[in-house]
Amino acid sequence: MSSHHESILREPLITGENITYTKITNDILVPVENKANKAWWIGFTISALGALLWVVAVGYTFWTGIGAWGLNKTVGWAWDITGFVWWVGIGHAGTLISAILLLFRQNWRNSINRSAEAMTIFAVICAATYVVSHMGRPWLAYWPLPLPNQFGSLWVNFNSPLVWDVFAISTYFSVSLVFWYTGLLPDIATVRDRATGLRRRIYSIMSFGWNGSVKTWQRFEAVSLILAGVSTPLVLSVHTIVSMDFATSLVPGWHTTIFPPYFVAGAIFSGFAMVQTLLLVTRKVMNFENYITMFHIESMNKIIILTGSIVGVAYLTELFIAWYSGVEYEQYAFLNRVSGPYWWAYWSMMTCNVISPQLFWLKKVRTSIAASWILSIVVNIGMWFERFVIIVTSLHRDYLPSSWVMFYPSIIDVCVFIGSIGLFFTMFLLFLRVLPAIAMAEVKLLLKSSSDQSKQKLIRDKKVDPEQAEAYLQSLEKYDSVIPKPEYAKI
Amino acid sequence: MESNKKYWKGIEELQKTPDFVGSNKNEFAESLPIEEVLSDAGLSSVTPRRDFLKALGFGLGAVTLAACQPTPVHKSIPYLVKPEEIVPGIPNYYASSHNGQSILVKTREGRPIKIEGNPNGIFGNHGTAPNTQASVLDLYDVSKLKGPKLNQSNTSWKALDAFVQGELNKVQASGKKLRIVSSSISSPSTKAVIADFIAQFPAAKLVQVDPVSYTGIIKANENSFGKAGLPRYRFDNADVIVSFGADFLGTWIASQEFTRQYVSNRNGASLKNKKMSRHIQFETGMSLTGTNADSRIPVKPSEEGVAILALYSAITGIALAGVSLSENVIADKAIKLAAKELLNAKGRALVVSGSNDVSVQTIVNAINSFLGSYGSTIDLDNPVTLYSGNDSEFAEFISEMNRGEVGAVFFLNSNPAYEYFSNKLFVDGLNKVSLKVSFADREDETAALCNVIAPNHNYLESWGDESVISGLYTIVQPTINPVHDTRQAEQSLLTWSANSVQDYYQYVKNNWERNILPGAGKTWKQLLQTGFVYSGEMPSASYAFNQSITAVVQTVVNQSKAVAKDVEVQLYQNAAILDGKHANNAFLQELPDPVSKVTWDNFAAIAPKYAEKIGVTEFDLVEIKGANGYTVTLPVLFQPGQAQGTISIAVGYGRTKVGKAGDGVGKNAYPFASMVNGTLQFNTSATITKTGGSYELAQTQTHHSYEGRNIIRETTFNSYLKDPHSGSGNHGTEHKTYDLWNERPITGHNWVMAIDLNACTGCGSCIVACNVENNIPVVGREEVLKRREMHWLRIDRYYSFNEGSESYTEEKEISELEDLDNVSVVHQPMLCQHCEHAPCETVCPVLATVHSSDGLNHMAYNRCVGTRYCANNCPYKVRRFNWFNYWNDSRFDNYMNNEFTQLVLNPDVTVRSRGVMEKCSMCIQRIQAGKLEAKMEKRTLKDGDIKMACQQACSAGAIIFGDMNDPESEVSKALGNERTYYVLEELNVQPGIGYQVKVRNTVEA
Repeated sequence: MSSHHESILREPLITGENITYTKITNDILVPVENKANKAWWIGFTISALGALLWVVAVGYTFWTGIGAWGLNKTVGWAWDITGFVWWVGIGHAGTLISAILLLFRQNWRNSINRSAEAMTIFAVICAATYVVSHMGRPWLAYWPLPLPNQFGSLWVNFNSPLVWDVFAISTYFSVSLVFWYTGLLPDIATVRDRATGLRRRIYSIMSFGWNGSVKTWQRFEAVSLILAGVSTPLVLSVHTIVSMDFATSLVPGWHTTIFPPYFVAGAIFSGFAMVQTLLLVTRKVMNFENYITMFHIESMNKIIILTGSIVGVAYLTELFIAWYSGVEYEQYAFLNRVSGPYWWAYWSMMTCNVISPQLFWLKKVRTSIAASWILSIVVNIGMWFERFVIIVTSLHRDYLPSSWVMFYPSIIDVCVFIGSIGLFFTMFLLFLRVLPAIAMAEVKLLLKSSSDQSKQKLIRDKKVDPEQAEAYLQSLEKYDSVIPKPEYAKI
Repeated sequence: MESNKKYWKGIEELQKTPDFVGSNKNEFAESLPIEEVLSDAGLSSVTPRRDFLKALGFGLGAVTLAACQPTPVHKSIPYLVKPEEIVPGIPNYYASSHNGQSILVKTREGRPIKIEGNPNGIFGNHGTAPNTQASVLDLYDVSKLKGPKLNQSNTSWKALDAFVQGELNKVQASGKKLRIVSSSISSPSTKAVIADFIAQFPAAKLVQVDPVSYTGIIKANENSFGKAGLPRYRFDNADVIVSFGADFLGTWIASQEFTRQYVSNRNGASLKNKKMSRHIQFETGMSLTGTNADSRIPVKPSEEGVAILALYSAITGIALAGVSLSENVIADKAIKLAAKELLNAKGRALVVSGSNDVSVQTIVNAINSFLGSYGSTIDLDNPVTLYSGNDSEFAEFISEMNRGEVGAVFFLNSNPAYEYFSNKLFVDGLNKVSLKVSFADREDETAALCNVIAPNHNYLESWGDESVISGLYTIVQPTINPVHDTRQAEQSLLTWSANSVQDYYQYVKNNWERNILPGAGKTWKQLLQTGFVYSGEMPSASYAFNQSITAVVQTVVNQSKAVAKDVEVQLYQNAAILDGKHANNAFLQELPDPVSKVTWDNFAAIAPKYAEKIGVTEFDLVEIKGANGYTVTLPVLFQPGQAQGTISIAVGYGRTKVGKAGDGVGKNAYPFASMVNGTLQFNTSATITKTGGSYELAQTQTHHSYEGRNIIRETTFNSYLKDPHSGSGNHGTEHKTYDLWNERPITGHNWVMAIDLNACTGCGSCIVACNVENNIPVVGREEVLKRREMHWLRIDRYYSFNEGSESYTEEKEISELEDLDNVSVVHQPMLCQHCEHAPCETVCPVLATVHSSDGLNHMAYNRCVGTRYCANNCPYKVRRFNWFNYWNDSRFDNYMNNEFTQLVLNPDVTVRSRGVMEKCSMCIQRIQAGKLEAKMEKRTLKDGDIKMACQQACSAGAIIFGDMNDPESEVSKALGNERTYYVLEELNVQPGIGYQVKVRNTVEA
């Protein structure tokens, strides 16, 4: 965080020339302080239509009953909980970036944490909508909360993983929101200082009276650190608990101890993929190339390949354990996944999650924006299929073959899912327009130490070992995108 | 002393100033500034804080007072004068009878809501048939007529009577014939009424006709022994049963009575005595009876007669010319084996045939006579009068109509326009009749062609009687006032024939008091309480068949040849819909066919291998063209065990005018039938062509093999004799189990259930009983297709295939088998197992499903938020979710959505709203009622005080409910049986329902 000397060999986190604090502010606040461009309007229109679809589909479900979905007597959860777990998982990258990377002093997180955290919050909101809408009687959605009530001694069932889920998700959401908002304070103050009129008043209220004094900064740093400490266990616990919805049941294919780590890895995997999906577009459209550099993209790709491989190992372990356990129901469940009527879902999952991220071993792929973006989408699809495979293919053929059925989604199922994506993007696009998408204050910290211009200056001033300087310059040319290359323009 | 002290409030009062005197006259001494405040200036002035607080206080007080109003009053009509016999909340039971069986009708606040078998009854009275259970819904059928109709418009009974009487006199004068067409009448009083009617109109005659007829047996018995009638078969006396296409456990004659008899030789008690009957079934399509057979051999309809001849020849040793089963090697072998076994069991053997052909039944008579069955397994002296229809008489009636000889016709419980194979012949004839009267309760296919519809009461609104076996007389008494403006058919006949007794109730009473009661030594009142009188059966004599069968053999051989062309079609009844009379009963439509598990449709059942040969796949639509040119397009269903080259189609479907639920369900298969040698034949040859397109059938079970899982445990009778534990998995020491939870001993009652897989025939009566008892929604075809049927109790039916001595149960292995004809079937009733360690209970976030102190798994509907986690975690998949508001959603308009039909609901059971989970409650309302009754009588509960709805309906006695903590209870004893096992016991969910191993009396290969 602090501005200190940094080895010249480290790759720059800010590129471009003549970057000043003002320029950073100006660059980042372009979308906030100006009228939206055409690209934003197109994106927003589509997203808002999606959100409208969500309202209609969920409204229809509320009106008629869960029967509007494709569920049946055997498959009690399908697209609903698939969507829920998918969205919760996506949220995880934001927390990992903001909390764990902060504790580990990974400075490259500074330019992506804001959007990633926003993504977390919106994803958790989407997940929460599924929690409520999948209920048979959503108007009683508050019953799983341990509220004092007039129903006598009626309490929630603390044995139920769904109650744990309620705690996990609500804690997660509130901590993430506080963490995100705390980080926003100095930036909101910046917007306030540059705004006039009503905007100034609103941002003034939102900035909680930030005055930029040393004391304020000192407290800000302290709170950030504490919140990072609070959030870090959440990265692991939330998806662990989500996985327990399955792991503590006795459905073959759900009842496995590997689920907690496997789910956490999968969550981070999908979360980073979603960050890539969003930021690759944002940096292009918002001209944030100087702040979100190829180094950032490459770093995230590395995390994707790591977590993707963990997930892959988990898949193979599951198969092995099923065979090794000798439990016929378990064995059948996995045989059925691989070769049953939903084989295509299993193999889509395998291809998207295990095989395709391995392409990132190639530096060329990992540093290609087009490839990164496409693969990030592929991973998102794969992770959706993973949850679908776990939920539907385990349920549809469990213990008694007489109840074995097929699940077919209804049009409403599809609409709710597409709608939730619309809802997510609507919120994200609104966020881009009202709040700085990059943490300006935190990026500014890096300007003097980790930017390309400062490193170039050191080289020009001959303050570094020429050999190291040579290596630095070569590395830029060889692999990285410090100097804008023509292919940037393609995206 | 009087005080004249005076207090004054002020100097003005003391001095009585004029000002004071003036103002003291007013209520308020100083004038209130009302006008001022309400003036413009006043209103626009700034409200002071105190005024605001005053207004606030007043507002709060006013609102509080307003809120103190009592809650809105729902209009309900109390008993101004409480009927003596009705106590709200306490059911009344009335003895009545249905299909000749003595029943008890449960009524609540004056409406019949449930039918139970009369526990003292003697005919089929260990349970009830599915249609008996469902019959209560027919009373509340919205498709029924609400009053009489004359020439398609509503009329009054008076006008109708005048019209009919006038017409009758005209017909009488013209000398034309009068015909009363009825399905078999077993009621002595109805018969007497008709006899009186005929006495009044001598040109009248009663023609009895049954859509699925037994004329063949009746005539054959007449020819063979001079005893026209259906004999009383005694399956309980038979050690070896060979059936040729007779579905005696499902649809044939008196299936529930036969089930009881049959199971008595195969249930736990019988096995304890080391006794089990052997049952060999030769049939075309897989029938319910076929699924229970120890050996089942598929034969084509054309081979059936020949097979019976072959059996005759194998048993008697008399070679018959032209009889050869060489084309069906397996059947040939099986016949020889069956002959050997029958001969070994001489005197305790029984051969039955479902054929309606006189010649075939004559051969069967000859075989039974040779085996000494008469007087032992067949009782000719106590005939069953459930079916006495005469096919040729009805055919003659149609000719009479077509010749224009009939002037008036009355249809009583008969619907030939739908049921008769030649609709054209019937309708053409009917058009020539001037007075056409239907007594149908709805404007059905025949009634629509009649000029008079005099709607009959439902049997629950009627007086009457029945006598279906000799010596047994049952009473039918009304349990509710007629709901609509209907009139009992007998009453109409009495009116039109100007009978001296004008009231049918009086008529029945007279008839009983004159003819039946004196012999039984009972009074009318006693009869109404007991429901029946039984004077005992006649001694059953032995009969010998001693006629030449040469001519008969030739007829059988010729007929076989006539059918043996192209594809052979067999028509059958399924256990739910039967002949189609009750096709508008939603319970029956949604009751899965016990074999195919198809609801709401009929279909063309084809053997999978044969389908492969002719290039059709399941659910393909095919056009089937019968020998008489009738064509019908039906979806294909793969039926393992179906004879190669044959199609089986259920009759009873394709009704067009039965009502909301039943119209347009399936296709009519009756027209495939034909009249051969004076009897109706339900086989034909046909051609089959693919029409393209497909139509998925709504099945409640879509996977048909049990994948080698030990959820089904079975053994052979021989292994059982060697080791009663055989197949149950109960060998050696118990495993040590570990619990996550603290053990909680159940000290009071511990309600459990035992289900004997060897007794259960799979008929589905328990399912309907459960539906009626527990207000289970009927969801309709579309929802069943989405696998959302709501049945709390289902019967899982699994096929396994035998090749050589191996049994194949896994889908993958089965797909590689060459021969799928040799199939074994097992039925497993599956319901909530009330696990001690219930997986559903731990996962519910809101504690909506919890365990009771007496071993039950409760479901609190009001607490359920509908996460469906419990259903996912239920390894038995017995939990059912209310996907929609079935009782208030116009899309489910076939049962509880209708205000009138709602009257059938059991008031003791909550109707569930949408979004909540439900499942078998172990009839908790019955447990509570039983406990309460014992408490009121200040005694402890006795075993058998409480019976589950499913248990009560089961003719086979396969379901036993009771208290596990009572070592003397029937259920404790049953669960102590060596054959007992628990489904998925390895999960340690500790289910409360134990199953007993299925035993097959197979011949060692």
